[in-house]
Amino acid sequence: MNPQRDTIQFVLNDKLVTVDFNSNPELKPTTTVLNYLRSLPFHKGVKEGCAEGDCGACTVVIAENLNGKLSYKTIDSCLVFLPMIHGKQLITVENLADPDVLHPVQQEMVNHNGSQCGYCTPGVVMSLFGLYKNHHKPEREVIEDSLTGNLCRCTGYEPIIKAAEHACSCVDTDKFTIHENQIIAMLDEISRITYPLEIKTLSQKYFKPFTLADALLFRKTYPTATIIGGATDSALRQTKKHEVLPEILDISGIEELDYFIEDETVYKIGSGTNLEKLKSLIVEKLPALHKMLKVFGSLQIRNLATFGGNIASASPIGDMLPLLFAYKAKIKLQSADNERIVPIGDFIKGYRLTSIQNDELITEIEIPKPDSDTLICSYKVSKRKHLDISTVSGGFSLRLENETVKDIILAFGGMASQTKRATQTEEFLRGKAWTRKVVEEAMEILASEFLPLSDARSSAVYRSLIARNLLLKLFSETTTSGL
Amino acid sequence: MKTENLKHDSAIKHVTGQSVFVNDLAFSGQLVGRVVYSKLASARIKSIDFSEALLLNGVAAILTYKDIPGQNQLGPVIHDEPCLAGEEVTFIGQAIVLIAAENRETALSAEKLIHIEYEELESVLTLREAISKNNLLAPPRCIECGNVDNAFKSAPNRISGELETGAQEHWYLETQSAIAIPGEGKEMFVHASSQNPAETQAIVAEVLGVAKNEIEVEVRRMGGGFGGKETQGNHVAAWAALLANATRRPVGIQLFRDDDQIMTGKRHRFLSYYSIGFDNFGKILAYSVELNSDAGAATDLSRAILERAMLHAENSYFIPNVKIVGKAYKTNLPSNTAFRGFGGPQGMAVIETAIDRIARFLKKDAAEIRKINFYGIDERNITPYGETVSNCRLDVMYEKLLVSSNYVERKNAIADFNRTHEFKKRGIALTPIKFGISFTTAFLNQAGALVHIYNDGTVAINHGGTEMGQGLNTKIHGIASSEFGISPQFIKISSTNTSKVPNTSATAASSGSDLNGMAVKNAIDTLKSRLAEVAANVLNVKLSTDSIQNHQIVFLENEVFSSLHPNTKITFAELVKKAYLSQVSLSATGFYKTPGIFFDRETGKGNPFFYYAYGMAVSEVEIDTLTGETNLLRSDILHDVGDSLNEEIDIGQIEGGFIQGVGWVTTEEIKWDKSGNLLTHSPDTYKIPTVNDIPLIFNVALLKSHPNEGTIRKSKAVGEPPLMLAFSVWLAIKDAVSAVGNHEFEPQFSLPATAEVVLLSIEEIRKKVLGVGG
Repeated sequence: MNPQRDTIQFVLNDKLVTVDFNSNPELKPTTTVLNYLRSLPFHKGVKEGCAEGDCGACTVVIAENLNGKLSYKTIDSCLVFLPMIHGKQLITVENLADPDVLHPVQQEMVNHNGSQCGYCTPGVVMSLFGLYKNHHKPEREVIEDSLTGNLCRCTGYEPIIKAAEHACSCVDTDKFTIHENQIIAMLDEISRITYPLEIKTLSQKYFKPFTLADALLFRKTYPTATIIGGATDSALRQTKKHEVLPEILDISGIEELDYFIEDETVYKIGSGTNLEKLKSLIVEKLPALHKMLKVFGSLQIRNLATFGGNIASASPIGDMLPLLFAYKAKIKLQSADNERIVPIGDFIKGYRLTSIQNDELITEIEIPKPDSDTLICSYKVSKRKHLDISTVSGGFSLRLENETVKDIILAFGGMASQTKRATQTEEFLRGKAWTRKVVEEAMEILASEFLPLSDARSSAVYRSLIARNLLLKLFSETTTSGL
Repeated sequence: MKTENLKHDSAIKHVTGQSVFVNDLAFSGQLVGRVVYSKLASARIKSIDFSEALLLNGVAAILTYKDIPGQNQLGPVIHDEPCLAGEEVTFIGQAIVLIAAENRETALSAEKLIHIEYEELESVLTLREAISKNNLLAPPRCIECGNVDNAFKSAPNRISGELETGAQEHWYLETQSAIAIPGEGKEMFVHASSQNPAETQAIVAEVLGVAKNEIEVEVRRMGGGFGGKETQGNHVAAWAALLANATRRPVGIQLFRDDDQIMTGKRHRFLSYYSIGFDNFGKILAYSVELNSDAGAATDLSRAILERAMLHAENSYFIPNVKIVGKAYKTNLPSNTAFRGFGGPQGMAVIETAIDRIARFLKKDAAEIRKINFYGIDERNITPYGETVSNCRLDVMYEKLLVSSNYVERKNAIADFNRTHEFKKRGIALTPIKFGISFTTAFLNQAGALVHIYNDGTVAINHGGTEMGQGLNTKIHGIASSEFGISPQFIKISSTNTSKVPNTSATAASSGSDLNGMAVKNAIDTLKSRLAEVAANVLNVKLSTDSIQNHQIVFLENEVFSSLHPNTKITFAELVKKAYLSQVSLSATGFYKTPGIFFDRETGKGNPFFYYAYGMAVSEVEIDTLTGETNLLRSDILHDVGDSLNEEIDIGQIEGGFIQGVGWVTTEEIKWDKSGNLLTHSPDTYKIPTVNDIPLIFNVALLKSHPNEGTIRKSKAVGEPPLMLAFSVWLAIKDAVSAVGNHEFEPQFSLPATAEVVLLSIEEIRKKVLGVGG
């Protein structure tokens, strides 16, 4: 084997780093970027606060070459395995300032007393840096979105928001812009390698292909390997449950799976498209999906998590799945020898169970363009508005003709062991007048269709109530006298 | 020197990632410590088998209670809390075995090879069950004034009820951590994340069975404390010290987030029963309340916390006839502990609920009811425990806030909004706080300082307080700069270290700058009078003997001169050099004790507080009546800090404390399963506020021109009180829920008001509306 196949390369701040897993027993292929950084001297700024991507104390910024420009993304380094940053620039809090001059985001944090205990601060600063590189004079909503994934227990956030406003009101002339071309040249050099990385240590095998064809070959050869796109779910098995993942197939480096195209009738979305990119592309095209993505995880999570990965996890409370039912989405599955397209309803088989065969990968999600007379709505009810898992989520589709229900889909998450449609309620409503009275009758049927669970998030009673009420909410949004 | 706007002492280090927290330190040969804890709430330990784990390559030591050389105790006040479980475990999360290993992975692998056999015993897991079994932690306490029974008989109206207030997880960003480094002989050095290094020192000394002078504890900073590291930071320090002692190598422990949430205590949940008697104007005539707290498995600070709850049961209101009964109960949960407010919030929540109910009962505005019951200036100013409330600021704050928040107009606008919206309702509430400042355990109200001037003119300040983000060191920095008359850049605040200042009290009870600021000033006064004599000599002026020397010698803007000859100056640095060459001591200790504090626990009478801090807030919310979700639209806060030591830091404390309170009253819900397993053990399920949860409009102001006589630079403490301003949010939500039934029905309500609580309450009201209508 080519010896280079088991080393990875990336740029740490401004220096090229090569990691050879076989000559460094302290590092495993699944060592997280967080733990890697903290094992180095002078890189202890990055902090572990929760090891599950919920607090953002470990936020770092990744830069990648996107058509000759560097694109900067914040990520939770506690969830990212080292080979996932192969070919990228990793920017840490220690490198933002010049010896005597703070970076604008740092200076404004000082000016506005944005830090108290200081433990969340390095992560906050990196989120502000990401904001600074991507937005000039951002709206409050954009600032809040970029900070949702950074929990601070001291400040109450107000001074951090002020720091963001001030830092991002000046023109970006920081050293990263000045040195951009040098970094791009370094990254290009690494990216010349297109053969797959195969890292094998005593306890783990880690494969990172760069083409779909290679990925499908690995998939066939190692059918039990854990597939990771953004790893935001799978990484928790290591960071929270302390499992050792013996075989990993990392498909995060396959550019072929990162696309969004539309024709006259359908949107085709590559399974490797990350959710933040998807969110930015569908504002007007798929507003219900956009609304859902606005309250989906945090920016750091959406920058990592892929559309395909979210669907593959088949979570019963997944925010996205009910909505895909409403959109009548289809999933394209490919193996080395075959490909097929499966409607979302047939794709989900049970609790975290899908119809993916052990040689297949999800390669594309097809969302048919809704008819102009069809209303698609998404709802997510959670204990906390942002960065929370749904208590109940709903994806609804409604087609009215002369105030009569022609067609309706009512799909729910959080109400059963898998995403489930309220088929009896749908049946009841089809052909009926869309009136408050009818809707209220339907709500009773709906409540009887589900037997939800009580858990850490909610009681069964509350879940049932929400499910019913969401139907009334749908009604209220279709009538002018609604609120 | 202008020091009111000094930036946070560590701000630049924070933003560049250079601030060092315990787990950022690394020492040669350091091992990783891991704590194996009980998986059952109540059980006898039949056997512990770690023979396999011990054989694992990279495991350096495995310890049980049998290996503790000193006392097997962690209890800070009452010794009822084993360091490692002996024959019995009393809660899930109780430490049983300690592992020291070369790295995290090995420690985790070793843990999997340790087999503990239990015989399960009966457990008590809810407060109601503990009450019904009379599982008291200590004898009940009582504070009483007037005659409640008679007053209730003659009161025109009476309302009774119960209120549940939930637990709260501290969620400091830095989980509990410590590194212990063995030294020569019996010495042990501990880098701790502790609000109380002197107590950490005491506990480590006790478990190791050595004298306190063998143990040195240092606290550079904490990544948040909020009370969670007042006593429970000691635990991890003691475990690390035991492992370091056994292996003779440095051992560091930082708890994983989930373990931290499972193992450590929280804000006490309370179940309280109350009756309130009042006239037709809403004036309160009698109040009787029984405050029942869930102490958890051991005493920890539960008695003092219950005491503070009782001492805040009447909040800002003068009530002539009061009976407050306090009971703390034992349950099989981790011992609950200090949390910002220290029982005060739980005590206040009840009276605030009662007043809210009076308003609905009389169909009056709740703010008006509050106003007519405020403590007075010269009369109606004696608390149930007999302390006189002097310089009460409630009336003046009420008038100001009512105007600045535009309360009356908004209340009317809300009524209009609610008339025209079925699925959205808005609510508003104004709530006050009066919070007593001082440790209620009187002897704790003392502090020490050690100030060095080096002969280059720079100053190092050591004091007994700890920095957990609240800005104590920044305030001390400002105080020292003002007192010395030198620029802040010549002054450094050192880490808190038990070898510099001994026998310190916890940095708690909001008292950090009150106590330590005064102690530092005291040390500086000593040094200045020494320097003044040297200066008099050098400047050739005579100091009169009948007045305070350093008033004639002025220290200002890095220079020193006589007030009689202001043009003849010497720089501070030069003066220091002259003093050194004249063999004058340039180091001094300082000390402070709060005067006039006493409280008799038997009679429930005394002067437990040096003064009171006041605050007031108006909040407006909008709820979704189909989902129960809340949107916090606006909060206006007016807070009293006397003459602020540092305005930006004070406002930071107010905003941060308020938002932490908003979390407690809205989304921060703690749940256990029927076996006592914590269900909400990570941020996945335990939801503290994010940036999206702060008010859309957030106005925070300090009450100006109201100096507080007798404290350091006429300031007031600020750490805890603002948390309780969040009652304005909680009761605004209730007001919005109440609007669903046009304020005709009393909503079922508890704390926190999660979306679930809100929606269930709305459904209850909807049924009543239908019942009445149909």
